[in-house]
Order: sequence, then C-alpha cells, then structure tokens
Amino acid sequence: MKNPFQDFGSLSVERKELPLERIVRAREEVMERMVHGYLKLVEEEVKDLVWLVEHSRVVKAYSAAVKSIRELQYDADDIEEFCSELDSSNKIPYMISGPAGIYLSALVNHAQEDRIVLPLKDYQRTFHFVGYRLPDGKTLILQGDVGDFVGAGLSGGRLVVEGSVGNWCGAGMMKGEIQVMENSGQNTGEWMRGGEIHVEGRIRSLGKTLFGGRIFQRGKLVVPQETDSEI
Amino acid sequence: MGSNSNGALREAVHEIHDYIRENLYFNRSDLSIRGKRYNSALLLSIMTALRKGKTLIIGEPGLGKTTSAEYVCSLLYRVPLGTIWGSEVAGHPEQTEEKIIGRPDLGRLNLGEEVVVWSHFAMLPVKIVDEINRLPETKQSMILDGVDRGNWEYLNDAIINREYCLFATANYQDRGTNTIIAPLVDRFDLMVESKHPGANLAYIIGTRGPATSSLRDEELEGEFHRILAERTPYEVRMEKLEALCERFGEFIRSTANIRSLSRAERQAVRAQMDEIPFDLDSNAFLRMVISELSFCHRFGQKRSNESCEEGCHFTGYVCNGIRNCISNRFPISVRSMAQAVAWFLGDQAVGVEHLKAVLPYTLAHRLQWKEELVAQREKEPRNDPLPIYMAKECVKDMHRRYMEQGPQIKNALAVACQVAEGAAMEPVQGDHPLFWEIRRDLGEEVSEP
Repeated sequence: MKNPFQDFGSLSVERKELPLERIVRAREEVMERMVHGYLKLVEEEVKDLVWLVEHSRVVKAYSAAVKSIRELQYDADDIEEFCSELDSSNKIPYMISGPAGIYLSALVNHAQEDRIVLPLKDYQRTFHFVGYRLPDGKTLILQGDVGDFVGAGLSGGRLVVEGSVGNWCGAGMMKGEIQVMENSGQNTGEWMRGGEIHVEGRIRSLGKTLFGGRIFQRGKLVVPQETDSEI
Repeated sequence: MGSNSNGALREAVHEIHDYIRENLYFNRSDLSIRGKRYNSALLLSIMTALRKGKTLIIGEPGLGKTTSAEYVCSLLYRVPLGTIWGSEVAGHPEQTEEKIIGRPDLGRLNLGEEVVVWSHFAMLPVKIVDEINRLPETKQSMILDGVDRGNWEYLNDAIINREYCLFATANYQDRGTNTIIAPLVDRFDLMVESKHPGANLAYIIGTRGPATSSLRDEELEGEFHRILAERTPYEVRMEKLEALCERFGEFIRSTANIRSLSRAERQAVRAQMDEIPFDLDSNAFLRMVISELSFCHRFGQKRSNESCEEGCHFTGYVCNGIRNCISNRFPISVRSMAQAVAWFLGDQAVGVEHLKAVLPYTLAHRLQWKEELVAQREKEPRNDPLPIYMAKECVKDMHRRYMEQGPQIKNALAVACQVAEGAAMEPVQGDHPLFWEIRRDLGEEVSEP
C-alpha cells in the first residue's frame, strides 16, 4: 500500500526529548568518563592486578587520578553513583580497593561541594584510602564501615566515619580531623604529623611512629600521652 | 508564494470577475483571503465553473441566486444567456424525467425506432437547477448520477458530458420545499449564500434594471437552439456548439469589451490549477480537519447511526458535535477549490489561508450537527445562515488547534513516514484524533484513552 505520509518524507524529524532523558544522558556521559578514568588508572598502576601499598605508588596513583578528572564536570551525586558502579556494575570488570579508594578520594577532593556524604554501608565491597589528602574546607561523611588507610595524608579536611575503620587510619595525615564513630584497626595514626583523630569505640593499636597530632579515644586523649608532671 | 508567470488566463478570469461584480451582480464583499476581499457567492461560483464543480446557492427569493450562476456560466463557457435560460431545470413537484434528461423521439418511435431526444440541460456543459429543493426526493434521485459523473441515461441510450458544471439554487424551507437528499447534498462541492446586497446597492439595482443585454444575441441563441435540436450524434453537436461559442466570445468582446475562455483555455486553466501543490502546513491542516470529522475512538469512525458516549475523551473536538461522518468527496472538493482560489490569487502553493477560505463553504452543507449544538448556536449574532456560520466557527476552532499543535502534528507525520518505510521509531503520541489515526495507519492497536 502507498505510504500515506510520503508528503512529509522530506521534513526532518524532530526527536522530542524529555528533560529527564537529557539529564540522564548527561549523567551517563559523566559516569562513562569516570569509569574510563578509573580503568585507565588501574591499567597503568596494576599491571598484574596486584597493587602494593608504597608511598611513591600512592602518590603516583593519586596524581594520575587527578589528571584524568581534571576537565570532568561532576557533583556529589555522580561520586555516589560511581561508588555504586564500583560495587556492582558490569561496566567495571575488576575493582581493586586501593586504586579505587585513591580515585574516589581524588573525585571527592576536586568536587565542587564542600560537604559530601557517601552511603558506603549499602555496598558489598570495602574501599581503602578513602579520604586520602582531604583538603582544608572539605567535609567527607562516610556512612558505614570502611577499609584500610582511611584519611591517609589528610590535608586539613574533616572526615567522619559513621562506622568502623580498618588499619592505618589517618596514616601520615598532616592536619584536619578524623572522627570514627565506632572502632579503628591497627596502626591508627602511623606517621601522623598533625591534626586529630577521634575514635568513639575501641582502638586496636596505635601507630608506632607518630610525628605529631593528637589521637582521642571516647573523648580521652591517648596520643600524646599526658605525663604526670603536667597534671 | 509569488506570482505565477503564466498569468494571461488568470487575467481574463479576473476581468470576468470584475465585470460581473461591477455590472451584473451587485453585492457586498463577505470573504477575505490574504487581505483581499471578495463576494463569496460570486468568487466561488467562478471557481466552480472553472473546476467543473457543483455548487448549491441558497438564499431568499429574488436575491440573485440563479442570475449570478447564469452570468458566470455565460461568460466562462461562452453560452448566450437565452440559451442558458432555455436549458435550466425548474424545480417543482410535477417535474418529469422527460423534461430533465430526455424523451423518446415520437416520430421515430412511430417508425419503430427508439431514439432519444436529449434535453438541453443534459447536453450543455452549463447546468442550472432552479429551486432544487422543490423537487420531491424521488426526482432528486433521478438527477443524482448525471450530477455525479456527467452520465445521462434514458431508455437504452446515454451521453457523457466531457465538461460540465452544475449550479443548483435552493430557497429557505417553506411549505413547498422538500429536504435535499443526503447523497445529493454530498455531491455539491460548495454551498454559498447569495445575500441581500444592502439597501444602497439594492437601490442602485432598482434604478438600473436588468443589465443582461451584453450577454444576449438572439440570432446566436437561435443557432444554438438549432444545433441542440439536430438529430446528429451528441459529439458532433458539441463540436458545432464550440464553433458557436467562439462566435459568442467574439460577440461579448465587442459588446462588453471582455475576454472569455474557450474550451481549450478552460482546460489549460484546470491543468494549471491541478499543478498547484499543497504546502506542508495546508497538507497537515487538511488531514487534521478530516480526522476531526471522521474520528471516533469508541467505534473506529463516525457513523450516523452510532452516537457518542457521555464523557468521551474527545468531547472538545468536532467529532463530538456532529452526527455524520464526512465523505471522501469532501477532500476532493476542498482540494479542487483551494487550488482554484490559489490559482486565482496567483499563488504557487495552496496554504492554510486558502484552505480557511474554502473550508466553511465545503463543509456547511455536509455537517449534520447535533441538535443541542444547533440550539446553542442558532441565537448567536451572525451575518451568515446558520449552516455556514457554524461551519465557519468550526473551521476557526480547528485552525486554532492547528496553530497550537501544528509543529507536533507535522513532526508526527514525518516520523510516521519513516516508520512506514521501515525505520525503527516510535510514532509520536498526542491528544488530537490525528495522532490516533496515524498510529492506526501504522498498524498499532490503539486502546481507549
């Protein structure tokens, strides 16, 4: 049968787009670039899918992460969605906790918002290095338990963990504040140079080498220990 | 839209229009098209004659219904007024097939030969039925086929008019009138009213008296009669008549200084009109109009024996106000008349303005409004008879909707074109019946809104 709409064949079709579709597409583009940046980082840093925590490698990974997100426009919601992608998406074939946390920290540190909340308790996987180098003026709230090296190299920001942290919490932190609502693991505050760590629950062990800063447990100062002479 | 380069024929038609307006048919302008004002009865009668159309002219007795048609036919077809008068069919209850179509040649019948003497009405290309609504319904049916196809049959003989136009006049209802049967009404392309010209023009008509001498030549009329009465084959008589028409054309050029059109020129005009395309807006608008006049989501289409349900989603559209479904003759009439008007104005494409001008007159006689709507509207102040007034209001409503939804409708039609050609796209959805019709045409099962 003849196409009854033939007269309109030359008319260019205007695809009507709902505002929501535009928003979703923009978010998908951002997410795609975030995932691409993470995968590139993993590819460069973890050739044999094993990543060793060495100071130089951490610094290098962080620099690479910052470079990959330099021109990316994103917000706190995008970071939350990226966490969700890391936890369960098929787009990310391998999730390595160290680089993932460093990449996540780079995103948090360069986000426009000063206060970011990440609901980590909903995720199956554990992130390390979250809050790495959190700068002055930023507040990061992590809901749920987190892995090792949380708040490592903290640079003036405020990190709140509404749960427990793993080992090496606040390792090498410079200044700022870490507040842990539950327990902390071994070597808490190792190589700490400044700032404060407050732990409301149990501290499994303190770092052996501390260059400065203060650590409180349930409001009581435990590092540096108060001397009798001062009392 | 610009001026058509081949303007000589159009100029001749303009001359005829202006001559009739200035000398023969005095009336006010009541139709505005693209800033120019015309008298609807005169302009659309000329378009009817040029397009081989059929027009019903309504109005009070003595307001120029028949005479306007006679002038138009005489000048455009080069037939003397006296010949036209002699071919007119008068509507009255005693009218017979023998007077309208033809009768047996009684002399030949005595010799055992069955030969038909065709009426001048059946043979001439210009046909005027005066007061058609005084014909009883049975006699209206008699002229139905001839009116529709130009095919006139009597006994075992038939003639086919190659070119013809028809004008029928109708007075308003009184004790002596009948209803014009629906199939016959639908065959009219247009319905116009020949209005009262107003006190001042009527005064001038009174002082001037009939001004028909320029269209009459008794000698030529006698020759027309002689040829029409010949017992030669119909085609032979028509060729002879064309030669006489040429002579009458020369006559009116000398008496009225006006050019008229030969048969070949009328054919050329029609060819030019047929080539005028519809622009995309008028195309989409006409589809929208047709959909409003034929759509019913409940029963698949409008049917005159099925009524709309209470609370229908499409209550605001025309489909909800009418009882009948528009026929396929409607788009043919609209297309033909809109092209004619566009040609007359020198435009290269039919646009929405042309459609808006002709739509009320192509719809007025075809729409059967629901009684409650008629009751609601009949007391409103207006300058037109109720059917034309209601059709004009209805076209205004549909045009307003097109102004609101036009881009979306064109987009829906463009998408539909691609879908029909196999593209994997979703048809555009919308609230107007046309969106539903598009989806139906694309084979979708459309459920109730």
